[in-house]
Amino acid sequence: MTTAPYNYSYIFKYIIIGDMGVGKSCLLHQFTEKKFMADCPHTIGVEFGTRIIEVSGQKVKLQIWDTAGQERFRAVTRSYYRGAAGALMVYDITRRSTYNHLSSWLTDARNLTNPNTVIILIGNKADLEAQRDVTYEEAKQFAEENGLLFLEASAKTGENVEDAFLEAAKKIYQNIQDGSLDLNAAESGVQHKPTAPQGGRLSSDAQPPKEGCSC
Amino acid sequence: MSDNESSASDQTEKSVDQESSSPDRDDTPSDSQIDRSTDVAPVRKTRRRPEHKPPPEDQKTPETPPQAETASNPSTEKTDSQGGWGYWGNWGKSLISTATATVATVGQGLSQVIEKAETSLGIPSPEELSAQVEEEEEKSDAKSEADKEEGSHSSGMGGAMGMISSSSMGMLSSLTSVVQSTGKTVISGGLDALEFIGKKTMDVIAEGDPGFKKTKGLMNRNSTLSQVLREAKEQEEQQTADSVTSETQKKAHYGMLFDEFQGLSHLEALEILSRESDTKVKSVLTTLSGEELVKLREELEEIKEPFSLTEFEDEVEDDTRGDDGEEFIKELTDVLESLLISTSADKLCKARKNAFSRITYMKSQPEEEEKEQETPPIKCNVEDAHLSAITSLAEFTARSIEQFHKTAEILLHCNTDEATDAERAKILSQVTVIMCKEISVLCKKFTSGLTAIGANEKGEVLNPLITSVFLEASNSASYIQDAFQLLMPVLEVSHIQRTVESAQA
Repeated sequence: MTTAPYNYSYIFKYIIIGDMGVGKSCLLHQFTEKKFMADCPHTIGVEFGTRIIEVSGQKVKLQIWDTAGQERFRAVTRSYYRGAAGALMVYDITRRSTYNHLSSWLTDARNLTNPNTVIILIGNKADLEAQRDVTYEEAKQFAEENGLLFLEASAKTGENVEDAFLEAAKKIYQNIQDGSLDLNAAESGVQHKPTAPQGGRLSSDAQPPKEGCSC
Repeated sequence: MSDNESSASDQTEKSVDQESSSPDRDDTPSDSQIDRSTDVAPVRKTRRRPEHKPPPEDQKTPETPPQAETASNPSTEKTDSQGGWGYWGNWGKSLISTATATVATVGQGLSQVIEKAETSLGIPSPEELSAQVEEEEEKSDAKSEADKEEGSHSSGMGGAMGMISSSSMGMLSSLTSVVQSTGKTVISGGLDALEFIGKKTMDVIAEGDPGFKKTKGLMNRNSTLSQVLREAKEQEEQQTADSVTSETQKKAHYGMLFDEFQGLSHLEALEILSRESDTKVKSVLTTLSGEELVKLREELEEIKEPFSLTEFEDEVEDDTRGDDGEEFIKELTDVLESLLISTSADKLCKARKNAFSRITYMKSQPEEEEKEQETPPIKCNVEDAHLSAITSLAEFTARSIEQFHKTAEILLHCNTDEATDAERAKILSQVTVIMCKEISVLCKKFTSGLTAIGANEKGEVLNPLITSVFLEASNSASYIQDAFQLLMPVLEVSHIQRTVESAQA
C-alpha cells in the first residue's frame, strides 16, 4: 500500500452539489486521480474522495463528499451537508437548466451548512465551447451577487479543476487565519491537527470536541 | 436475572455451535486448550456485543449509570473484581432483556475465566493455535465426510478463532469496561485475567494497538463508532509521523487502511442517516396515540427482531470454501437480490477478489500447503504477508460498511412494496452473517499462510503478527455488526414512510 506522508495539519470537509449529469463525480475523479472518467455511473447517495493539498505551506487533507444529483436522492443527500467547510456548486455550461437550478442548490447549501462555509460556483464542461448555453459573464455576476467564488472548469481536460478545489481551500484557510472561522465551533468542517510530531496522545485529547456532535 | 442468564447461554451455545462445532473443541488435544474451550463460549459472546446494543431509544439508559456508579450495589456472587461486576449487574437490570443477558453472560464468563486462569495458566501461542487449526481442519475434513449432518465440517478455526479473539478481544472488552467503571486498581487486581490473556497479546495491545482503544471506545457509548475508529486511526497516523524508522514503515495500520478504503466516511455517513432516521421515528411515535400507536409499535418490533442475536441463524458452516471467495460472492449476491432493491455488491466482491489475489501471492503452492505442513518456497516475508492480511481485512470491512450505507440510502428514497421492511431486516441480518463468516474465512486463510511463511521466524516476530490478524479480524466483525445495527432506524423510517404513503393512496 501507500507510504504517503500522513502528516497534514488540517482536514477540510467538502461537498459537491448540483444537478444530475453536470459532472460532479468527474470533477472529483479528475482531482483525485488526474484522469477523466468517460462513462461515469450515476452516484448513489454519496461517494467519497480524499487528497492532500498544500495551502500556504500547510498540508491540508480534503475529505470530499460527492453527492448524487438525482432528485430522488435529494432528501438523503441533504443530510450530508452538515459540517462542510467548503461546497462546490456545479452546473453544466452547455445546459441552461442546470444553471437555472442553482438558486435551489444555493438555498440548500446556505441553510444546511454554517455561515462560514465557503461556496465556489463551478461551470463545468468548459471544453465544450461550441455548445455553450450559459455565458461566463452572467455566471460571474450571479456568483458576485451571492458572494461565491467562481471558476469555469473542465473535468475532461482538467482545466481549472485543481484550482477549483484549491481556491476554496485558500479561502477557508484565510478564514481560519483571520479568525472568522472558529475551529472549535461544532461543524466548522475543519479539524486542526498539531503539525509538530510530539509523540504521545495528542490526537485523542485534541480531536473529539471538533468531531460532529455524537448525540 | 438467572432466567436471563440461562437464556443467554442458550443463545451463546447456539451461536458458538454454528461457527465452531463443539466436537472439534472436545477433541482438542492439550489440557489447557480444553480448559479454554469450555471458557470460551460465554466470553466469546462479548465479541458479539454490538448485536446486543439496545435499540437507539434505549441507548440513553446505559449512558446514565456511569454517573450514578457509586449507587451501584455490590451484591454479586462473583468474588473477583467485585466492584466492576456489581456495577455491571446493576445497570444491566435497567436494560432491555437482551442487553441484560449480555451483561449477565459477560460477568459469568469472566469469573469462569478467572477461575480457570488460576488453575491453568498456560496459553498456547498464536503460532501453536494456528498450527492446531490446520490439524483440526484435516480432522474435521475427514469427519465431515463421515458425518455431514452434524455440522462437523464447520471450521476448527471457529473454535481457535474464538479462543484467541475471546482472550484478546472479548476479555479485553470486559476488562476495559471494568477499568472504566472502577479505575485502574482493577487492572492490577485482575491480573489473573491478564495473565490469561498472555503477555504477548498484552504487549501488542498495550503498545498502542488501536484495537485496545477501539474496544474501550466501543464500550463507551458516548462516542459513535466512527469517532472511535477515527481516533484510533489518527493515533496510528501520529505514530507513523513520529517514527521514521524503517521498522514502522513496514507496519500495517488497520485504521489508516480502513480510512483509505473510505470505510470511515461511509460509516460516518451511515451514522448520520441512522441518527436522523431515529429522530424521525421518535417524533412520529410521539404524534400517535391509542390503537395507531400500538399497531405501529408492534410493526416496528417486528423489524427490530432480526437485529437481536437470537435471529442470527447461521447456516451450517462450510469449511470447503475455496480461497477465491466464489461461494461468498454467490451467496451474497443471491441474498442481496432478495432485498428487491437495486443494490450491487460489486465493490465488496471486488474486495474479496483482491483478498484472493493476496492469498494467492502469499501461498505459492496453495493445494499442497493444506496437506503437508511443509513450508512453501518463500515468496514474501512475514511483514508483507501481515500487511496483505490487514489490508484485506480493512478493505473487506470498509466495503461491507459501504454496502450497508448504500442499502440505507436506497431504502430511504425508494419504496417498493415487494418486500416488507421486516423481511428486509431479516435479509440484512443474513447479509451480516455472511460477511462475518467471510471475515473468519479470510482470517483463517491469512493466519495459516502467515504460519507457513513464518515457520522459520522467531516467535517474537511471528506471534504478534498472527495475534494482530486475529485481533483485527475480530474487530472487523464487530464493526460490521455495529454497522448493521445502524440500519434498524432506517428500516423503521422506511416502514413508516410506506405506511403513510399507502394510507394516503
